[in-house]
Order: sequence, then C-alpha cells, then structure tokens
Amino acid sequence: MLKNICVTQLNLLRRAPSLQQQVRTTFVLKRKYEPLLHKTNEKPRRMRAKHFIYELVEDTLVKKRPNMEVVLKTFVEGVGDKGDIVSMKPNFVYNKLLLPGLATYKTPESIAKYSKTEAEKSAVQHSSAYAQRTVNMLGSIVLAVVMNKDEPWVLEPWHIKASLRKAGFHCKEECIRLPKERIEGPDLKKENKEFCCTITINKLEQATLRCRIHHWSTDPSERLPYVLEHWKLPAEPLLNVGQPETESTQKNA
Amino acid sequence: MLSLLSTMRTLVVRQQAGEALRCLHLTAVAEAARKGTREKARKKKVKVEVKKVGFIPHNQRDKKINVKRADKHVDDSWKQVPKDDVYVGRYYRWPVYTVAEAIQCHRETHHPSMYNVPNAPLNVEIELNMQGEKATRFVDNFQRMAMIPHKFHHGEERKIIVFTKGNEEIAEARGAGASLVGGVELIKDITGGELLLSDYQFIIAHPNILAELVALRGLMKRKFPNPKSETLGTNLAEMIVKFSNGIAYSAAKDEYQQNFGLITASVGTLDMDAQHLEENVRFLLQDVNTMRPKRDGRFITRVLLKSAPSSEQLKIDPFVYISELYDKSAAKSSRDAKKEVAPAEPQAAAAAAAAN
Repeated sequence: MLKNICVTQLNLLRRAPSLQQQVRTTFVLKRKYEPLLHKTNEKPRRMRAKHFIYELVEDTLVKKRPNMEVVLKTFVEGVGDKGDIVSMKPNFVYNKLLLPGLATYKTPESIAKYSKTEAEKSAVQHSSAYAQRTVNMLGSIVLAVVMNKDEPWVLEPWHIKASLRKAGFHCKEECIRLPKERIEGPDLKKENKEFCCTITINKLEQATLRCRIHHWSTDPSERLPYVLEHWKLPAEPLLNVGQPETESTQKNA
Repeated sequence: MLSLLSTMRTLVVRQQAGEALRCLHLTAVAEAARKGTREKARKKKVKVEVKKVGFIPHNQRDKKINVKRADKHVDDSWKQVPKDDVYVGRYYRWPVYTVAEAIQCHRETHHPSMYNVPNAPLNVEIELNMQGEKATRFVDNFQRMAMIPHKFHHGEERKIIVFTKGNEEIAEARGAGASLVGGVELIKDITGGELLLSDYQFIIAHPNILAELVALRGLMKRKFPNPKSETLGTNLAEMIVKFSNGIAYSAAKDEYQQNFGLITASVGTLDMDAQHLEENVRFLLQDVNTMRPKRDGRFITRVLLKSAPSSEQLKIDPFVYISELYDKSAAKSSRDAKKEVAPAEPQAAAAAAAAN
C-alpha cells in the first residue's frame, strides 16, 4: 500500500523538462514534378525519384513574427504607463519587459489587475511615456542662442524657442521660463557665457536647459571667429544670472 | 678508321631513309601553310599591357559605380505623431506648418535681434516624383514661368520683345512694360542684322503678325512664340506682366535618381504680407501641377520653405492648394475646355502646329 502511494507520488512529482523551447522546424515545400493522376479504384502509380524533389515555399524560421501585446505593470520610460496595453516586437517584449517583470501577458485577469485605480490616476507622475527622454536630452545639450551683435535686444522666450527649433527641438513659448534677471545685449562680455532656463513639458516635468549666448553679425567681416566645437568647452556663468534659481527648480535632473 | 667511316655512312643513309618516310605524310606545301597560320595567329594575339593605376583619391573616383545611394524621397510616415508639447524632433514626424506659421517662424529667426535680415528672400523647394505613366518613363526636365498676383523684386534682368501689328496693340504692349515693341519693320531689322534677338530673353507675339514672323523661325528656334508656352496670344498685356513679374523656375531630375525632381524658386521676401506670400505659393504650386503626368499617385511629394541665412526647412502641406491625386475627370474637362477654345483661335492653333 505504502509502496503504491510512493509510486504515485513519484509519478506526480515528475520533473518537467526545463528547457522547453519553441522549435520552428516547419518548412513549407512544393513538389517540383507533380505525380500523374491514377485511375479510379486502382492503386496509385509508383512514385519515381523525381517526385521526391521539392522546392522551398516558406521557411518559418526566418518569417517575421507578429507583434506581441502585453500589459504593463509599472511605468516604463519610452513604452507606456501602468495598465497600458502595448503592442511591440516579441524580442523586445521578452527581454525588456517580461524578463525584468515590468509587464505580463495580456489576459482579461491581468488587464483587470494592473489597470490604474482612481487614486493612481489622480497622482500623475509621468505625463507621457517619452517626456522623461525629452527631459534627459534637454539636460544634455548646450543650446547656442545666436543673438545680433549690432542691434539692441532683450532676451525673450521666443528667442529660446527659435533657437531650440534650429537645434531640432520643438516646444511652445509658454513652456519656457527664463531666469528672472533681464538679459540684454549686444554685450560682448556675455559672449559664450552660460545661463540656465527651465522647460516645462506637458505642464509637469521640468528640464533645465543650458544656454550660451553667441553674437552674430549680418556682415560677414564683422562676425566673431568661429570656435570649433564650442559646446564642449567649459564656459563661465553669465554674471551669476539664473544659477541658484534654476538649481532649486531642478526636479528631474 | 675505314670501318668507322663505313658505319657513319650507314647511319647517314638510314637517317635519310627516315626523313623520306616522314615526307610521305607531310608535304612541304602543308608545312608552309601551317607555318603561315601559326604566324597569323601569333600576330592576332594582342599583348595586353596592364597599366598600373596609382592611388586615386576617393573624391575623384568614378561615382557611378557600386555606390548605394539613399532614396531621396523621404518618407517619415512610419514615425510617431508627437503628443507632448515639447519633443525631440528626430523621433517624430516632421511638423507640417501652414504657410503663415512657417513665415512667422522664419521671421523670428530673421528678426533684428537675431539674424537681422528681415527682407531675406523666401525660397520654396518643391520635391517631385518624376515618374511618368510607366515605371520606366520619366517626366522631362522642364522650365516654366509661373504667373503671380503679388510681384516682388526678383533681381533678374528680363528683356521682352513684342511683335504685333496695329497701333492699339503696340500701345498696350508699351504700357505693360515691354522692352521693345514693333511690327514688320522690326522683323526687317532682325533679318538685316541690325538687331540681335539674343539680347532678349522672352519673345511674345500677337497672332496678327504670325505670317510675317515665320521668316524668323530659324533665328528664334525654340523661342518661337507658341500658345503652349503662352508666348502667343491676343492678351498681350497679361502675357507681358507674366513674363516680367512671374517666377521663373526649372525642375531638374536628380543625376542618380531619375524619379526625383527638385524645383527651387523664390516666391517673395519675408517683409511682404504673409497672405500675399501665400497667394504666390499657391499660384506657383498650381503652375507646377499643370505638368503632372497622367498617372495615379502624387506628383508633388514635399514642399519646404527655406530662407537663408537660416538653415531651417519648414514643411508645408501643398494639398490645400492643389489636388493630391490624379483627377481623371478634371483632366478631361480641361481638355474639353481647350477644345472649345481652339476653334476660336484657329490662327494660334496653326502657329502651334508650325512651331512644333
């Protein structure tokens, strides 16, 4: 009796093969030479060697696999927020979402489990999946603000907006907050001096943008000599304008 | 000694016998012939001299071989549409501006506080898909003049010579601003060599002088007035205004990519009224669209607004001014309209036939 139980237990607790991998060895083939038809109620004709020559129609190993849908467990930068159902390439999903435990397979249960509660919805931490990337990129660049060398000017948000657009960043004027101090020119003492301004993305994330003023003249002979890769060189702060103020507002640095 | 001699003789005799045997099969004539053919073959063989090629700098090498070039028709429709109010441009589709917005953007960068060129010319770059009705046929390069409602200083010197009879027409042409207006006497001057046609970029004629003008066809060649290029017609004043103020543009196919054409033209200066600039853009696009081949799909693929010294290129949507796809019914109706016009101007039609 005892022996019997032991045997059944052993059967129950049998080890499953751990390395169960999907093997795609299916090849769709086509006969090169079709065998001839046979008469009704008669045996099929004998197949010749040539009837076993095949042509490859499709190799499933090299076939592009469709996107996978998963439910995100948390906010993932560049992918989506918690509870979002995202459809991405299967390799990316396995390696970057499922293995680190950032997402689960899409089932009705998992959708219900990870959908955002009311409390989470009200406490928004991220405005969009890509806002953090924008913050990082804005923090890493040094923006060249080209101002005129001959005409008087006062720095305004739209100057920053136009300079950002030239550098490949698109933003609205109301997102830009300049340092409180007035920056005026032309003043060659301010040439290549650095100041910081704050960019607010989707009225939530804040990025600190380092800007340097460069003077430019319409007349080519009046222009200042070009410094190669000036953004890599260290620069002095612009008359201590905007330094402590921006550091206090720096949130997502 | 004697015995040695005798043996040598026998040897010689035997040798002679051997030669005689060979001669049985190969005659002297055949030998000579073979010799000749061998010589000929040897002469035929040209010695190939291998020239040593030294190092050629990469920029001087033949560019037509084995170079993979990127498709000039840029398609960014696979990219996302931005949802944030601040975004990094390279990860998203190009923003599409309206003409007014694009002009405003250029005005910002050209403001006195920045580049200080408020009167910079506004350039339009029109990218074309030059594929013809068949995939292997392409639209030819073309040069045209687009009529614009709001003129600006284009900086070119355009001299126009007008041929017409009748005092009314002459006065009309003079009033419109032609450089030289005349009739039969002008034709005589030109044939006599007193006046050079090459001084004038544009030649316009009224159909009433066409019979006399045929004498100058050899001199004018492709410039000979014809209604297709709108240099022959009854409405002289309008034609003169068009040629003196219009936008001269030319579409050129890419050297390596035959289906990519590019037009670069100036439509005005940034200090002009934005609405006037927009009107000019509209007329230019409509004029370009008349060259559309009879096939489906887009002809104008992308339109960019540029303005030096700024390197910004702002994309605008051309399809608010022209129809995006090939409209068969529209093409048909325009052809019908032409047919109706044609009998009204039999002289003009005859001139067209003569010019072509």
